[in-house]
Amino acid sequence: MKLRIVTPVALAAALALTTAACGGGGGTTAAAPPEGGKSFDFWSFSGINQKASVEDYQKKNPGIQVKLTEVGSSVETAQALTTALAGGKVPDLVLIQGDDLPKFVQQPQNFYDLRQLGADKIKGDYLDWVISQSVAKDGSIIGIPTDVGGMAVAYRTDLFKAAGLPTDREEVGKLWPTWDAFIETGKKYTAATKKAFVDNAGTSVFYQAVNQGPQKYYDPSGNVVYSTSPQVKTAFEYGIKAVQAGITAKQSSFSEGWSAGMGKDQFAVISAPSWMLNAIRSNAPATKGKWDIATIPGGAGNWGGSYLAIPKGAKNPKAAWDYITKTLNPQGQLAHFVDSGSLPTTPSVYKDAKLTALKDPFFSDAPTGTIYTNSLLGLKPFYIGPDSSAIGQEFLNAITNVEQGKGDAAKAWDAALANIKTAIGK
Amino acid sequence: MTTTLSTRRAQAAPAGTTSVRQRITERVAPYAYIAPFFLIFGVFGLVPLLFTFYVALFDWNPIGEHVFIGVDNFTRLFADARFWNAAWNTISIWLLSTVPQLVLALGLAHLLNHARLRLAVFFRMSMLVPYITSVAATTIVFAQMFDRDYGVLNWLLGFAGVEPIDFKQSVLGSHVLIAVMVTWRWFGYTTLLYLAALQAIPRAIYEAAAVDGAGGWKQFRHISIPSLRPVIVFTIVTSTIGGLQIFTEPLLVSRSAPLTCGPVRQCQTLTLFLYEQGFGQFQFGYGAAIGVALFVLVVALATVNYVLSTRIRPER
Repeated sequence: MKLRIVTPVALAAALALTTAACGGGGGTTAAAPPEGGKSFDFWSFSGINQKASVEDYQKKNPGIQVKLTEVGSSVETAQALTTALAGGKVPDLVLIQGDDLPKFVQQPQNFYDLRQLGADKIKGDYLDWVISQSVAKDGSIIGIPTDVGGMAVAYRTDLFKAAGLPTDREEVGKLWPTWDAFIETGKKYTAATKKAFVDNAGTSVFYQAVNQGPQKYYDPSGNVVYSTSPQVKTAFEYGIKAVQAGITAKQSSFSEGWSAGMGKDQFAVISAPSWMLNAIRSNAPATKGKWDIATIPGGAGNWGGSYLAIPKGAKNPKAAWDYITKTLNPQGQLAHFVDSGSLPTTPSVYKDAKLTALKDPFFSDAPTGTIYTNSLLGLKPFYIGPDSSAIGQEFLNAITNVEQGKGDAAKAWDAALANIKTAIGK
Repeated sequence: MTTTLSTRRAQAAPAGTTSVRQRITERVAPYAYIAPFFLIFGVFGLVPLLFTFYVALFDWNPIGEHVFIGVDNFTRLFADARFWNAAWNTISIWLLSTVPQLVLALGLAHLLNHARLRLAVFFRMSMLVPYITSVAATTIVFAQMFDRDYGVLNWLLGFAGVEPIDFKQSVLGSHVLIAVMVTWRWFGYTTLLYLAALQAIPRAIYEAAAVDGAGGWKQFRHISIPSLRPVIVFTIVTSTIGGLQIFTEPLLVSRSAPLTCGPVRQCQTLTLFLYEQGFGQFQFGYGAAIGVALFVLVVALATVNYVLSTRIRPER
């Protein structure tokens, strides 16, 4: 137990200290680039195979050395970046996940305004609502989008058949034009099979529905409106309705039970952004060919996506910018989609045959490119603020508490509002 | 070594100067020997500690502004239901893990000391295996075992006709789950501490007691426990300090809401609350204030424990 005697405060202070002393984990390799700008440091997440794109870039640009550090999960990368920014020893290029981005956009002085490097010329290539999330109040652009999630519903054709539901992806999509219809379909499925329809209400229903409108937790000028926004209330009610209909398996996304349940036919439906397909493949390899993908209720949606940014203290911003322009241009993103399945943020390639022709055998040869890019075109931009992810988490928690715990459905909304107020102070 | 060297030099050099030099060396040397610890403690312990007190007085955005706000963080903290919830969770998990752990360790140490075991070294050493296993690995395995739908524990309970228990979702269940992990991790270490102390007790005392007609329990109660007093005090104090800072286990219990250990913060400990505010919300000032409050709590409880446990005395 002796080893546990780390002063309680050390944790709080270690963070402050690291900022001063070491400038964050991971990227201690930073060194002056040899021969003026032939190498740069790049911090990315682990588990997304960033190495492949780096190697590809190095092959096409011989002589340039990219020192890639896979810091950890997206959250850990953002934390390391935070300490690095506070300490001053930063990478030249860093990948930031969309949920973590607003905190950095609020403090644009920490990053290069990419307009100075030429972002103005290329910003028209990207989906408007995606790139606008990296634009700070002063108009500076701090990040270029690498990918988006898109939204669809992954469903089990064999289980649908057993429940007497259609299995063709077009017909299945027509079963649920709205979330109400989705819940009704769930009731039919559960009545016929005595099994749960969807994995959970929080992420598969609420998180998706709340993204389908022009205004989420903030109004366009950046004021918090989560308590009065009709879109948020409606989405929350869909979540509660799904719980009360008894169609959810009560498995929180990414939990142990969720992974296990996927392979054991515990539920037939998951709301799945494009990157989720990999999670299904690896969690339930035996279900290969039994899945298919249909459009999401409401038609449009997105979950996930990341940005590349250049911290202010970067030693070699020009090389980092060169990497951004060469890998994130429409053709670069298209090539990356074909290799890895991550969805381009550049709508000009959405009709490209390379994208539309791609079929996924694990998901009954569903044309994933077409299905997911269609879900992006209907999306309207909404303002994402620094507390958006905290607010979303509290709403999700309130629904989960009704679903899995002893939470009272009638009081859930008020409880969520009270918790958010405590958390963000407004 | 220093002494030998200086003695040798003393023989070689004129007497007057060396004895001064020798005296200085002897005075300074002990401090030089302990200096590395205090240097490292200063850099990694004391300075961060003091800096935390300082940061707690600010609205401190690590990548933005630092605004001095005095004790506002503390006023906010004491009015924050999440803080009291985390404090209560911490104390509850600490009690649930420390008490069984120390009792279990005491009993096991007694058994290992007295029972005629074959392979005694094997049993003693294997108790350290949980201690050297990664906390993250332990947590993930236990979380799976306690899973509602696919956990081995609920599967076994199912044979007894018990409905599946959702440990992670309920307050008591999640506390028990974490307490089991902590106990599992630390009982071997504590057992070995007790065992070492027990082996230092002269056999003759037990033999004399046996001659006087004292049975196993009486020997344990009246010889072993009083003799273990210093070690018991040590383990109680260290497990108080450690138990109040449980972090990794609650962080890894809930995948969907890791920073709160579940949707209603049912097992969020103070350190996890600190981490949520500091690293999740980037409110370093508020996080530091939580750290200061935790510091005060640990000092207070460790003192109370120390005072209480020094009351274990040999009976006369």
